[in-house]
Amino acid sequence: MSKKVAIIASNGGLFDGYKVFNIASAAAATDQEVAIFFTFEGLNLIHKQANQQLAMPAGKEHFAEGFAKANVPSIPELLSMAQEMGVKFIGCQMTMDVMGLEKEAFVYGIEVGGAVTFLEFAKGADVTLTF
Amino acid sequence: MEIIKSNITLDAKGLACPMPIVKTKKAMTQLEGGQVLEVQATDKGSKADIKAWAESTGHQYLGTVEEGEVLKHYLRKASGEETIDKKHPHVINNDDLQSKVASNEHIVILDVREEAEYAFNHIPNSISIPLGDLEKRMNELNKEDQLFVVCRTGSRSDLAAQKLAANGFTKVVNVLPGMSNWSGDTASLNL
Repeated sequence: MSKKVAIIASNGGLFDGYKVFNIASAAAATDQEVAIFFTFEGLNLIHKQANQQLAMPAGKEHFAEGFAKANVPSIPELLSMAQEMGVKFIGCQMTMDVMGLEKEAFVYGIEVGGAVTFLEFAKGADVTLTF
Repeated sequence: MEIIKSNITLDAKGLACPMPIVKTKKAMTQLEGGQVLEVQATDKGSKADIKAWAESTGHQYLGTVEEGEVLKHYLRKASGEETIDKKHPHVINNDDLQSKVASNEHIVILDVREEAEYAFNHIPNSISIPLGDLEKRMNELNKEDQLFVVCRTGSRSDLAAQKLAANGFTKVVNVLPGMSNWSGDTASLNL
């Protein structure tokens, strides 16, 4: 039986993006059902423009070279791969309202929902992670 | 160095985690149950990852060969063969076969798993003829010998034993369950 993985993404830096999408893709590739709830700064990770230029944490800019050397895929690449494998993205409605953002500002295929939408999925999850 | 046979080879060299796993999952869908996938990767974490991935998805991790920077992982796609009823009437359990091996009785052990499975782990001096090749390679075997046929769980060896019996081999014994539970000596090819 496939396991369920519920992830909350609430931070919007480059490192956060990798943590979220790497774990999500690995889980999906292992036949697990994955949903990610993007809230507050986490929405950056699925924002069409913002997710192309996520910031390194202050003082860690020198890691850029390491990323290139290790041939790490870009965030948009990882994102579409995760989607292709069936990872479900849920954008937080309340944060979008606060920030004045519409669904169209985000990558195609996301769902928009409130906390309960995510909790409903997380209720039956075998693994829950927060980033 | 021996060459290990696989049905499909996946090039995941130069890719960072989780890409080797993601590519492996995709490549697996192109294989039929029981076939062997070779994954070539340079990500040092891929060995532990591939092994864990196989465990949780139900595929069989056979082993890894290191060639310089390149790790070659071998996986066998899950096949559901374990659920087939076994029909060959003559069987022996692992322990009894092990004592025959230990007492140096002259016996012939025929391993019908895929070559890649045999490569990483087999009973010393056993003969490797994968089930799929048995028909055309049967002439390599002696009809008068007592043949102990082994695979991983006893299903492929059951089919092989039936095939041999139908072709005039009279002293064919299926080993149950087989390599999945073998605690005796094993050998591997010089990889």
